Amino acid sequence: MFAFSKEAEEKIEKILKKYPEERKRSALLPLLTLVQRQERHVNPDAMREIGRRLDLSPAYVQSVCSFYTMYSSKPVGKYLILFCVNISCQLNGCDVLLAHTAKKLNIEIGGTTNDMKFSLHREECLAACSGGPMMRINDTFYENLTAAKIDQILDSLD
Amino acid sequence: MADEQVTLTIDDQTVSVPKGTKVVDAAKTVGIDIPVFCYHEKLGPLGCCRMCLVEVEKMPKLMTACTMDVGPDMVVKTTTPKVEKAQKGVLEFTLLNHPLDCPVCDKGGECPLQDNTFKYGPGDTRMEFHRAENLKMGPLSPVITLDRERCIACQRCTRYSEVIEQDSALVMHNRGFNNEVGTFNNESYDTRFSGNVIDICPVGALTNSQFRFKARTWDLTNSDTLCAHCGCNCNMTLGTRTNQFMRIQARPNDLVDDGWICDKARWGYDFLESSNRLKEARTLPDGGTMLFSSPTTQDAAVRTAEAIRNIVAEHGPESVGFIGSPYGTNEELYLYQKLFRSGFGTNNIDHKVYADSPGLPIDHYDVSDIETSDLVLAIASDPTEELPILDLRIKKAVTRHGVRLAVLNDQATLMDKYAALSLHYDIGADGKVFSALTAAISGEGKADVKNTGIKADQLKSLVEMLRAGKKITIVYNPAALTGKSIHGLNQLLAMIKNIPSVECGAIPAAPQTNAVGAMDMGILPDYYPGGLPVLDSESIKQQWGENAPTEPGLSALEMIERAASGKLKALLVYRANPVVDFPGGKKVEEALRKLELLVVHDMFETETAKLAHIVLPSNGPGYDDGTTTNIGGRVQFRKGGLKTTNPPDWKIISLMANALNEEGDRVNYITSFSVTDEIAKKVPGYGEISKRSIKKEGATREPPANNNGSGFEAMDSPSPNADALKLRIANYLFAHDKILDASSQLAHQFQPSIVHLNKKDAKKLKLKDDDDVVVVSGDVEIAAQVEISDRCNPGGVVLPNISDEQGVWGLANDRDGVTWVEIRKV
Repeated sequence: MFAFSKEAEEKIEKILKKYPEERKRSALLPLLTLVQRQERHVNPDAMREIGRRLDLSPAYVQSVCSFYTMYSSKPVGKYLILFCVNISCQLNGCDVLLAHTAKKLNIEIGGTTNDMKFSLHREECLAACSGGPMMRINDTFYENLTAAKIDQILDSLD
Repeated sequence: MADEQVTLTIDDQTVSVPKGTKVVDAAKTVGIDIPVFCYHEKLGPLGCCRMCLVEVEKMPKLMTACTMDVGPDMVVKTTTPKVEKAQKGVLEFTLLNHPLDCPVCDKGGECPLQDNTFKYGPGDTRMEFHRAENLKMGPLSPVITLDRERCIACQRCTRYSEVIEQDSALVMHNRGFNNEVGTFNNESYDTRFSGNVIDICPVGALTNSQFRFKARTWDLTNSDTLCAHCGCNCNMTLGTRTNQFMRIQARPNDLVDDGWICDKARWGYDFLESSNRLKEARTLPDGGTMLFSSPTTQDAAVRTAEAIRNIVAEHGPESVGFIGSPYGTNEELYLYQKLFRSGFGTNNIDHKVYADSPGLPIDHYDVSDIETSDLVLAIASDPTEELPILDLRIKKAVTRHGVRLAVLNDQATLMDKYAALSLHYDIGADGKVFSALTAAISGEGKADVKNTGIKADQLKSLVEMLRAGKKITIVYNPAALTGKSIHGLNQLLAMIKNIPSVECGAIPAAPQTNAVGAMDMGILPDYYPGGLPVLDSESIKQQWGENAPTEPGLSALEMIERAASGKLKALLVYRANPVVDFPGGKKVEEALRKLELLVVHDMFETETAKLAHIVLPSNGPGYDDGTTTNIGGRVQFRKGGLKTTNPPDWKIISLMANALNEEGDRVNYITSFSVTDEIAKKVPGYGEISKRSIKKEGATREPPANNNGSGFEAMDSPSPNADALKLRIANYLFAHDKILDASSQLAHQFQPSIVHLNKKDAKKLKLKDDDDVVVVSGDVEIAAQVEISDRCNPGGVVLPNISDEQGVWGLANDRDGVTWVEIRKV
């Protein structure tokens, strides 16, 4: 069974106050984000719970959830690496760097390390084209990447 | 407003349509076909498939005709080279991943994609790569098959789920390049109206599992008929092949069903070929009176008439009776009442076990009036389980036409979610609530809400809503009222009518298919057809002859009582199953066993048929023609479709009548419409009903005059002991009965026996969720599981009738008041 943590409940209270009662469905993305942060994925139980609170069908919650790459259906590692593969990064050689990262972590693209530390996902544009190639790890953007820089960033995370 | 007309030109034709009409619909009015996939007139515009591109003068780009409102002096062109190129392009894209498996696809022959491709599409494709491979066939539910490869992602089905059924059970997952139709967590898509997605799917992605690979659509014989399951009388098409049932599809009639049917209509017709059907006439082989052996149906009918006549001769007309069915057609019921009144001279005729009488003190509204009202008051009605299409209509009115809904019920229903005000009274307090409401509106007398479960201020809010109403539709289920409170309701209706500036009407929403028709046809002990009271002997003698009986007859329950005491000697039961559906259970069975002659004329081997001395088979819906009158008073024709060698019921009944008559007085009807014509002549209100007048959309009959002037006083029903709770028997749409038997397509919808208890009572009785209990009344015990909810107020329980086997009506020992039950833990 899924339950929001105490901190999350406090946040939900604040979030729901932002929207009029009849438009409370607007809180769907913030709530999904809370679940993703808390559980590192969004499972069906959580979708049901969100649906119950916002008066939405669980199917609708899932349809929204499955659109956004910020939400995953399987648990992701402590550090979620979203590697931009859109055009600017592509032109600047992101493919090689992505392959390098996967090799370094010894996982498939889309996979998670056995110690649940890193997950590596492809991502479409993250709106940082001026700094490509780039990746996002949790809430931080890392730009103008090189293989050496990636090694150093990954090694610095514990 | 809708009256404002806009004139525009489409392909050189001048078109005048109401403002707000979409170009695609405007074109339709002059026979111009603009191809569409995602657009459906009931769902509104979306514009995702791009199939409907047209050229509009002064607009630089092609426009989607399905999202564009008509404008004055707009010039639309649908056949220019630019449009044709776009159509070819769109279709080439649509077909990129579509498997061309039309030769084995059930949709073939009636497929918009196939038709549009033939008409507008490119002859070839430039696609050289591998097509996407997806799930080829999988169950979306036990009755719907999903083929993902055929899906063109038009979103009709998901929008239907959102806009029409409003439960968003079917959605688009992975929106974007890989979008696909799905349910939550791959659960089965089994809602009450799921089947409509099959009809609106413009490709063969969603198909009817029952019909899958059974026949090609062009080989079907399609009969335009009606559903026979509830009082909505939705229009549908019965597809047969070589006299075998194939499938059912919706046949839109906006005045009745708005284009939809429920799943019971679509998949609830396995009974046509059920093994439990009565196929031939028979007589009780041993015991009882051995009347004659292995009869033909015709023979049995004649002998039945003679046997009843002999009993009348010996014991008088009051010793025989008829229990009819609100599921029979007008023709069948009319003929039966005529047989018993004119032939046997008795008014012992009835079809129900609740109090009600023909006519309303206010207008009888049609179903479509709901949308044009500004307030709907639903009383004791649970449309979701009782009249599903009414449920869709109310939801549509509330969410899309801004109609306000007020609910007054003794149980929580799905309607509460849509209600601006929802009041739950205590079970059995309906009469008191009606009196209080009447007093509150009139301002005379005390609006006493004591012991009703409703607070004075709640009642006040409702009165204010009613006073502010301009057009009010009151939907009520007479079968869910207790005792004689229907008379209190009639007083309330009359009072609402008296509110200045209010225009109002009511829809008597009894769940049974022809409940309104049965009342109109005089299947009542105290009324002749058309609401003519038996006491009005002068009119009766004029209309029905000198010998017509003018003494009030026995009600259905009184007949059972008289049978028990041996005073009633013969009973003909037509398509009813008193042993299961009447209050009393075993007592009814014992009473029927005492009859000298019990004749059962039915479609199924019911518990009652097993007791009968003579059994006559009834073909029923699917085979026999006839008309039925829906809850809105609309009379429509229900065509048979399948053929059988067994005579139709109207013929069986006229055989009985003719057996009693001298040769010169015999009436020979040629078709069911010959009976309809007689009804038009004899039944007040049905004068305009004829084969012709009801052909297209049916026709509303004139409602009978209202005769309920009598005073009504609500009474308390004292509790027999401290732990006793008041029983409300609720309806469940997919109950496991003779219609939906174990072999039904809908068997997955059957539910276990559940008793709904209020938290307070559960605490008092120390019960928790899922406890196994028995619900007890007298010596009847019904097993059930506890579900704690706020479905009813404290002091009551709700027990849905989920199967014949469960036998909930056995608990109801007294229909004239409230049934008290006890809950005992097992």
